[in-house]
Amino acid sequence: MTTTAPPKTSPAPQLRRQPRAPRARLAGIALRTPYWVLTGALALVFVFPLVWAGVASVAPQPGSSQVDGWGFGNYVTLMEYQAGLPQYLLNSTLVSGMTVLFTLTASVLGGYAFSRFRFPGRDVLFLLTLAILMVPYATLLIPLYVMLNAVGLQNTLVGLSLVLTVFQLPFATFMMRISFDAVPRELDEAALVDGCSSFRALRTVLLPAVKPGVITVGLFAFLAAWNDFVAPLILISDSDKIPLPLAVANLRAQVMGIVDYGATEAGVVVMALPCVVLFLLLQRHYVRGFMSGALKG
Amino acid sequence: MPAKLSARPPARSTRPAIVAVARRRALHGWAYAAPTAVLVVGLFLLPVLLVGQMSLSDWPLLSGNQGINAPANYQDALGHRYFWDSVVFTVKYTVIATVLLIGLGLGLALLVQESSRWSAVLRTSILVPSALGLASASLLFYALYSPQVGPLSPLLQRLGLADGPVTFLGTPDSALWSTVFLVVWRFAGFYMLLLMVGLQGIPHEVIEAARMDGANRRQTFVSITLPLLRPSLALCTVLCVTGSLLAFDQFYILTKGGPDNSTLTVVQLIYNVAFQGQNDLGVAAALSIVVLVVLVVVNVAQMRAMRTSQED
Amino acid sequence: MATHRRTSARLVASVIAAGLASTALAACGTSDENGGAQEAPVSAEGVDDGTELTLWTRAPLEQQANLLVEAYNASHENQVELTVVPNDDYVAKVGAAAGSDGLPDLFAADIVYVPNWVQQGLFADVTDAVGELEHADQINQGHLEGGTLDGRQHVLPFVLDVSVMFYNKDLYERAGLDPEQGPTTLAEFADQAKAVDELGGNVNGTYFGGNCGGCLVFTWFPQIWAGDEDVMNAEGTESLLAGDTAQEVYGVWRDLVESDAVGEGSKEETGATWTGPFLEGEVGVMPFPATMLATADEALGEVGVAPIPGPDGGASTFVGGDGIGISKDSENADQAWNFMSWLMSEEAQVEVLAKNGDVVSRADLAENEYSSKDPRVLAVNEVAAQGRTPLAINFQQAFNAPGSPWVTMVRNEVFGEGGTVETDNEEITAVLGQ
Repeated sequence: MTTTAPPKTSPAPQLRRQPRAPRARLAGIALRTPYWVLTGALALVFVFPLVWAGVASVAPQPGSSQVDGWGFGNYVTLMEYQAGLPQYLLNSTLVSGMTVLFTLTASVLGGYAFSRFRFPGRDVLFLLTLAILMVPYATLLIPLYVMLNAVGLQNTLVGLSLVLTVFQLPFATFMMRISFDAVPRELDEAALVDGCSSFRALRTVLLPAVKPGVITVGLFAFLAAWNDFVAPLILISDSDKIPLPLAVANLRAQVMGIVDYGATEAGVVVMALPCVVLFLLLQRHYVRGFMSGALKG
Repeated sequence: MPAKLSARPPARSTRPAIVAVARRRALHGWAYAAPTAVLVVGLFLLPVLLVGQMSLSDWPLLSGNQGINAPANYQDALGHRYFWDSVVFTVKYTVIATVLLIGLGLGLALLVQESSRWSAVLRTSILVPSALGLASASLLFYALYSPQVGPLSPLLQRLGLADGPVTFLGTPDSALWSTVFLVVWRFAGFYMLLLMVGLQGIPHEVIEAARMDGANRRQTFVSITLPLLRPSLALCTVLCVTGSLLAFDQFYILTKGGPDNSTLTVVQLIYNVAFQGQNDLGVAAALSIVVLVVLVVVNVAQMRAMRTSQED
Repeated sequence: MATHRRTSARLVASVIAAGLASTALAACGTSDENGGAQEAPVSAEGVDDGTELTLWTRAPLEQQANLLVEAYNASHENQVELTVVPNDDYVAKVGAAAGSDGLPDLFAADIVYVPNWVQQGLFADVTDAVGELEHADQINQGHLEGGTLDGRQHVLPFVLDVSVMFYNKDLYERAGLDPEQGPTTLAEFADQAKAVDELGGNVNGTYFGGNCGGCLVFTWFPQIWAGDEDVMNAEGTESLLAGDTAQEVYGVWRDLVESDAVGEGSKEETGATWTGPFLEGEVGVMPFPATMLATADEALGEVGVAPIPGPDGGASTFVGGDGIGISKDSENADQAWNFMSWLMSEEAQVEVLAKNGDVVSRADLAENEYSSKDPRVLAVNEVAAQGRTPLAINFQQAFNAPGSPWVTMVRNEVFGEGGTVETDNEEITAVLGQ
């Protein structure tokens, strides 16, 4: 905005990382208090909804399974709902596991191909993969249902995982391609000259180098598959094959005109907990995955 | 699965040999890209072509293909009574979401880039919401905003910020902003992360040099950091614009397009036309094709802009 | 490309086959030439041979569906497997399956969608089998008519739901009203609502789904019918909702809104929580689904029940709920019919539905062991017999869909400026006539 402000002759006072005298430190704390208050409030805003869901799910609430006093009534409801929570957790785990597997297989091999090989149709395929991002999910569902039917994968968790994989491909392929791009070519060329096959070079030399990217892609695929609601809604018909989000959606509106908020909150907690735990465990790698790519400015 | 490459002739650079090697490399490239290709063709390209066929046919949801009727679906789609409203709303939402998310993402990235413990805590708490799916997050906020169990309205009243019960989804504006808040909550961490990566890619020396030359913080930021951050910003913009133009889950769960169709996005309109009332896959497909074309154009334009600004 | 062309070819082929089969079968009754699909069941009982049957229903009917399926499975060789689908996504689910011949053996549908779905050929013809049923003439007419196309029947009532006035006796007492006397005219309804609203605090006079087309047809149409006016022409192609009685009804509600006797959130209520406030004891009186009687009693102690009146008295109700039919894709039509036929039996109607406090679908069973214990249930069952089910091919789009012209009309009349009732009505007619 102020494009031609006169350059200051004295360097701007720096608060950061300067050894300070005790008085200066006191002043620093005084100066930093607003910063702490502000950032503390900010952290609170981001964490509060999750904490609230956890607390509310065990709090007493009219119209839920936990009417009097605190307790796990809502979780009991969830546990006993139709096929039972363990079954839904198992379904969700299977779907997420397969989606991660399929996504990693396709994107690691694909990223390797796009980064290291020249072949006819390469750019078209890459752009086509990115274009998946641009199609409204909702409209593709019916055609996808038709396609899965055509190959006999309708109403199967494998079919569902394949569909979820496709929607992960733009991010995953892009991520893996830039991860491979960031690895110096000399590394695998040396391996090739040593007589490695290109697959062996990938496995022994490149894969360790792109590990953070692999973790990021895998985590992304897991989170997406674990939480998806629309695809299983259309693609899965057996009530004992449905994943958790769909079960929670059913449970939420079991009686006409009432939302069972207690069950909703418990459902959100059960859906979120594995994701948050996994996320915290892998956070460092996840962030490194972004760093290691050529995303850098 | 690929054949051994060990028999590669050591740099005997006769022409046919090079061609043979290149051809073999290409073959291997295809082999590695094959899983991607199969998935993309089978579960993306063919379905999109089927959508294309639907858009040209009379195709009711419940009774299937009734034969070609082009271009009736496109006329119906563009003439739908909520089409332009939904376009306007979607664009409005996209602008708000993109500006807020990228602005906030950048602000947060600058805030947490120090490597102190507090920054790490802050970073983690901002990133945690991105572990939730958008649908779960929307469900969570559905409860959070609900007049029956939501804690926010009583909280605001107790703090003296509101005199009566606050309806978060009741008026067009409040519904829009409540949804924007959810989206910011869910995605700010992700954009913060992308921009943080961008910031860390800027060599320290450049900034130091600017400081030495006497530039103050703001000047350094405006004339050094921002331009160098452009590729990251461009990537964020592309992702955010595309994502927001296709917004569906959050509105579907929180507002259902209401009140009075004021928060109807284009994708929601597609969903409604296909499944909630008209049950006309043909018109829904025509709308989807229109959206697809617009998105391709928008993204190509964004990439172009990004490329030319990079060349500057 | 080849795959999906083949699929659509198959689709076309099966549609043609379905057409051929239904005409052929209407003539000769049995034929297995088409692989057994679309075979119309003819015996009263159907076949009970241990077949696995699939049944889909939407989430709000889960409780009733579960009870029915459990009772059937316990007493039959055939086993029904129930799949529950979220209410708002039911059409999407059925639509996806219908296009790929993937429908279950049996599925239920909101009765107001049934005419459309029958017309699209989703249900198999069961006319002859229905004729064999012992109590065919006692089955709820509204539901049967909904499933009738060109004189052929396709659907039986699955779970009936009717709308009646519920009032909170405790709040009535506190407001100085007679807890044994519900409203008999809309004016009384408004007065009583306002009286309860005077109590203040969390309590409100009444509540309604102001942004929910389905709730509004279910609760407001009877008020118009009770005033001897109709909501649509007989063909369901023209809306009559700008009539005098209709306008009087809107006026009553507008007055309630303006005098602030309506609960918070009515205006934006999309239907997801429209029965919640009453069940929490915060609402005095409102038109309510009768299926929730047991739930409401449990939450509030005994609630008061009265028929829905018109502006000057009278009474009517909306006979809603879900119809059930055999899908066009079922290969076990005779076995599926066994379930449908059992559904109409006294065992299912009385020992399962009535016992659960639900409305029975057979008029001759309105008075039964369970309903006679509670005069309110009896009253509900009786009012169900004289209620109506509005039928139109484009019902969903005109009324139930989010943002439908009907919702627009009500909101204009009740919350908005008003004065656009004629043009809004024309908009509804335009959609109905498409």
